[in-house]
Amino acid sequence: MDAAQALQELTELSSQIEAAVVLGADGSVLASTYDDPARSAALASSTLELIGAAFELNAQPREVTRVEVELEDGALFVLREGGRTIAATTGPQPTSGLVVYDLRTCLQGIHQPESPKKERRSVRKSKEGAE
Amino acid sequence: MRRLLRLALLVGLAIWAWRFFTGSPGPQQRAGVSYVDGSSIVLEPGSAGFERLASIARSALRQ
Repeated sequence: MDAAQALQELTELSSQIEAAVVLGADGSVLASTYDDPARSAALASSTLELIGAAFELNAQPREVTRVEVELEDGALFVLREGGRTIAATTGPQPTSGLVVYDLRTCLQGIHQPESPKKERRSVRKSKEGAE
Repeated sequence: MRRLLRLALLVGLAIWAWRFFTGSPGPQQRAGVSYVDGSSIVLEPGSAGFERLASIARSALRQ
């Protein structure tokens, strides 16, 4: 299934997740629960910023695979696997193990072309072929 | 038997009152990061690392 279908399934399964976004390896938004692209971009930006900050926390440079921040008014979860990143926001006091499991399942269920640039190229080629 | 029941009730009430008055005051805040080599860190509220991650998370939650 593609990223949008996987996110739809995720929100149907998990009542704790309020919003989620899936990013490609280049940081582009592959799918989002938000209808508004600006909100998707803002969550994607926060996700990348969080990963960057988590990376800098360690003295030795190591790839970040998971970040969880639980606050009084909600939580932000970020998971990275196979070049893709998923981020989700929840309400206060989530069952973090369950949320992480759902996010991992969602990420593993995505099978789609990674880079939108590649898709554009293939579209251009097919147009050139048609001409 | 009545004395035993009263005692059990009193002990139960005392435990409840102890937990009620000395329990954690509110929802706990925490942050954790896992790395590709399997290592992970937990950041306590008040630490610089926690505050950095928390400020990013707060802006994401406000959206």
